[in-house]
Amino acid sequence: MSESLPSPPEQPPRAMEPEEPSSTSPTASTSASVSIVAAEATTPAAVVALPPTAPGAPPPSPSTGAVPLMPVGIDNDISLMNVITAITTATSPPHLSQYLKNFAPKEVREVVLASMLPEGQDPLAILDIQANTLGILYILSARLHVPSAPRPPLNYIEDFCSNFVAEQARFAPDRVTLLAAGIVQAAEQEGNLRAAILPMQALLLRYSPSPSHLTTIHPIFARICVSSRAFTVALPILAHPITTIDLAISDLTYNDNLVYHYAGGMIYAALRRWAEAEEYFEICACSPGAVPAAIQLEALKKLVLVQLIREGKTSPLPKYTHPNLSRLFKNTPYSAFVNAYPHHRSQLRTIVEAEGPLFSAEKTLGLINEALERAPRWSIRKLTATYLTLHLSDIGRAVGIENESHVRTLIFDMIQSSEICARLSADGTVSFSDPPFQFGKADVDKVLGSAQEQCTLLARLEREMARSKEYLAKAVKGKDDNVSWPGAPTAPMEEDISVDRVGSNFSWAEDVGFV
Amino acid sequence: MATMEVDEQQPSRRRPVFTIDDDHPFDLDAYIAPYTGRTVIDRLIAIIVHCPSIAPHALTLAFQHLHRLRDPSLVNTVIGAYENVLGTQEGKGLPPVADVVSVDVEWVEEVTKRNVAERTKLEVELKTYTNNMIKESIRMAHRDLGDFFRSTGEFGLALKHYTKSREFCSTSQHILDMCMSVLELAIEQRNYTHIPSYVYKAEGALESLTIGSAVASAVAPSSASTSQVPQGFTAAGASTTSGGGIGASSMAGSAGGLSQSSQSRKSTDRDHIQTKLEFVLALSHLGTGAYDKAATAFLKLGPPEQLGDWIGKLVAPSDIAIYGTLCALASLPRSSVKAQLVDNPIFATYIEQEPYVRELVQAYMASDFKTVLDILSRNSIRHNTDIHLSLHTPELTKLIRHVSLVLYFMPFETVRLERMAEALGWSVEEVEREVVGLIQGGRIIGRVDSRGKVLVAKKTDHRAELFARAMKMASEMEKTNRKLLLRMRLQQADLVVKDPKTTRREHDRGLEIALGDSMV
Repeated sequence: MSESLPSPPEQPPRAMEPEEPSSTSPTASTSASVSIVAAEATTPAAVVALPPTAPGAPPPSPSTGAVPLMPVGIDNDISLMNVITAITTATSPPHLSQYLKNFAPKEVREVVLASMLPEGQDPLAILDIQANTLGILYILSARLHVPSAPRPPLNYIEDFCSNFVAEQARFAPDRVTLLAAGIVQAAEQEGNLRAAILPMQALLLRYSPSPSHLTTIHPIFARICVSSRAFTVALPILAHPITTIDLAISDLTYNDNLVYHYAGGMIYAALRRWAEAEEYFEICACSPGAVPAAIQLEALKKLVLVQLIREGKTSPLPKYTHPNLSRLFKNTPYSAFVNAYPHHRSQLRTIVEAEGPLFSAEKTLGLINEALERAPRWSIRKLTATYLTLHLSDIGRAVGIENESHVRTLIFDMIQSSEICARLSADGTVSFSDPPFQFGKADVDKVLGSAQEQCTLLARLEREMARSKEYLAKAVKGKDDNVSWPGAPTAPMEEDISVDRVGSNFSWAEDVGFV
Repeated sequence: MATMEVDEQQPSRRRPVFTIDDDHPFDLDAYIAPYTGRTVIDRLIAIIVHCPSIAPHALTLAFQHLHRLRDPSLVNTVIGAYENVLGTQEGKGLPPVADVVSVDVEWVEEVTKRNVAERTKLEVELKTYTNNMIKESIRMAHRDLGDFFRSTGEFGLALKHYTKSREFCSTSQHILDMCMSVLELAIEQRNYTHIPSYVYKAEGALESLTIGSAVASAVAPSSASTSQVPQGFTAAGASTTSGGGIGASSMAGSAGGLSQSSQSRKSTDRDHIQTKLEFVLALSHLGTGAYDKAATAFLKLGPPEQLGDWIGKLVAPSDIAIYGTLCALASLPRSSVKAQLVDNPIFATYIEQEPYVRELVQAYMASDFKTVLDILSRNSIRHNTDIHLSLHTPELTKLIRHVSLVLYFMPFETVRLERMAEALGWSVEEVEREVVGLIQGGRIIGRVDSRGKVLVAKKTDHRAELFARAMKMASEMEKTNRKLLLRMRLQQADLVVKDPKTTRREHDRGLEIALGDSMV
């Protein structure tokens, strides 16, 4: 079973050019990541094949006349000086990006970009962060990845991250990814991962066009927040749910999405914000796919545990979850744990004892213990539905705690955290009462407002979808099969489209939620 | 087929034992009187096992009936059951077998000899017919052998021959006959899971038979000669069977004189079979523990006359009254009990046979649950010794107790458990235990004040509940929308998890796949 899954990416595979020093751990370069890299490597094979020891060789001329603005003399001579000149004189960022991407064979190019000026002067000192963002981006990212190159100082990186011009940087999304990975790598080598957090946060905030865009920086950032246990730093970014994917500004892979949401779930879980953690794990576990990824199974395990902690029971997964995923889950000890929860506490303990090594190896022991600790609370919650008054000893018997004072503390705690509504009298009788409902007009208005917002958004999206080329192509194609006579009038066709749209494309809307 | 022999191990299992006293009276003679045939012995064996105090009497009765049957093995079965009881604690002090009855060895030998002779004769017949390949005769030979084995208590062989005869059936009537025989066998064997499939087969056969004969009768007057052949054939086959009535009537029909009486007779025959099928299906529901289905089916039964020869041979009308009523009280809501049971003139004819059932229903309708439970307990021996009901009596009693509690509490806002206990004749602890169980099962909407021993109905603020629900739905919907939107975007951008092996191939197809996936 497991070999059909892409390996669990400890670190997200990047579309890095193969000859760069790999910043990813060895495990990451298995199956999925390798094939992605292979598939997405954009450099033509011929270029790679050129020997790196021929810096004087004429560069392959750009396929199109994309760099007409470059001074003629520079074109034939590859040196950092020329590159700097090109950067400073360029007027159009797309053309500059094109030039920087193609001015020399790849390995040569990276070495050149990472080198110093002839007098040992740092090229970064010449360039202005605001005006030459794109150029600096290339140089910085190369500098961070070419092994022998001098490391750019950390404060310069920080400076760049908080002042660069995002519009320019978006012409070279791959370099932004490289830069992000490079910053993390540099910080790791210095043994101070936390140092990477601030520049990364600045980079992320400046680079993404809106907080709801997913970029390649997101997963890297979330991951270092988890690794360095700087959970709260990530909160402002996690607070905006991702709803937009734009491949033009970020060269995303499916792993970016999975890793970001998985790490987000981890962050929220570590902060005991279970509701958000549940949502993030769910997004990861239920992301679309032809096969379930290993990280999705991990996310599902954590999702289920978080649900137990939060609700005392699991809720059904969305219908679009990959069917194999739940099947895989059923074969894990977590499934037995869920089934015994919360009433069979002795059984739960047996499971935890028996599977302890596995749980701690999978880093879920914390969640498991948390869930186990909360199990009596769910049992007590259930008692409130059955009884009005009950003696502490009766509660202890029903829940399986012998010590009456333990029960008392537990009840106190639950009352304080307003999990239950109850009064505890001196003789040990607990009287339960219904929790008061409290809704103000403002709450209702808020909910209504957001619902209306959603409506408008969905209506707009639907219209966009109905207009989109892919959709129309599909609708018309489907129609061709149905209509056999030529020259069918246009009006029925449009009718057909709308019917089709409601019927099939948007069937997801019926599938979900309204149950 | 192996399942047909389940009863083999039953005597070895420890069964609950009931004593007859003033609170639990039982009149064996009155009970056994309406039955005839093999079921008498089956029922008496059940009584011997369950009620050691009247076992000798039951044994005597069994021996009186044994001689009317032709299964000498029953002698040993009955004595075996009695001796088993003698060996138990409750059976101490009972007279030994020899003091109660004496085995008529001569009779046993004679019957055995006769049986062997008949068996040989029938088997030879079957062989001859098989050699001659006369389909109809082979069928009849199988059927006769089936009947023979059934009467001598070899049920496995009987079933084998009945089902074998299926291959040689040429008309719906034959299939129907076969099904009815198997069903009778299944009832005797208490093989409830076997029943439904044969009922459906029989219903199919009955349907095509009705349609077929209707068409034939319509054609008959105009072209009597053409319809003569198939109709005559049916008659020839059927007239020798137990359901000969239909054969005879179709003969009359094919003769061209399609009189009103023959048509009505045909429809009565049809009703008879239909009622029998309904009964056997109801019994199978009871046997498999589907009490609500069983209740509805029993209450829908036609009048007792339509069960024909099954009355006495397999079941008594009073049995049907008890089964139907208990199942209905246990599983149907009060309104259905009124509509289907109390206001049902046909079922009333069954209830007439068993006066206490009427009292039971009246007490239930009057919400006098103490009486209901008293009557149940008073007649527990009748219920616990019944061959079809005994296994389900505890469960049915439990359900009726639950229904009583739920119905009793329904009109109240608060009730002292003490008062409930009084009204139902239980202890307070018992009431509390049951009530808590029912609350947790969602049957009673209320909560128990365990200190003050009061049951309080839950007051729901519907307005607040509605608001809470709406708010929750709204936020859930919003979340779902958002997640779906992201999902859609991911698919549009083809950021879907791919099988590493097929990634390359799929990559080429790009967006097409992403769109295709979103449709699934």
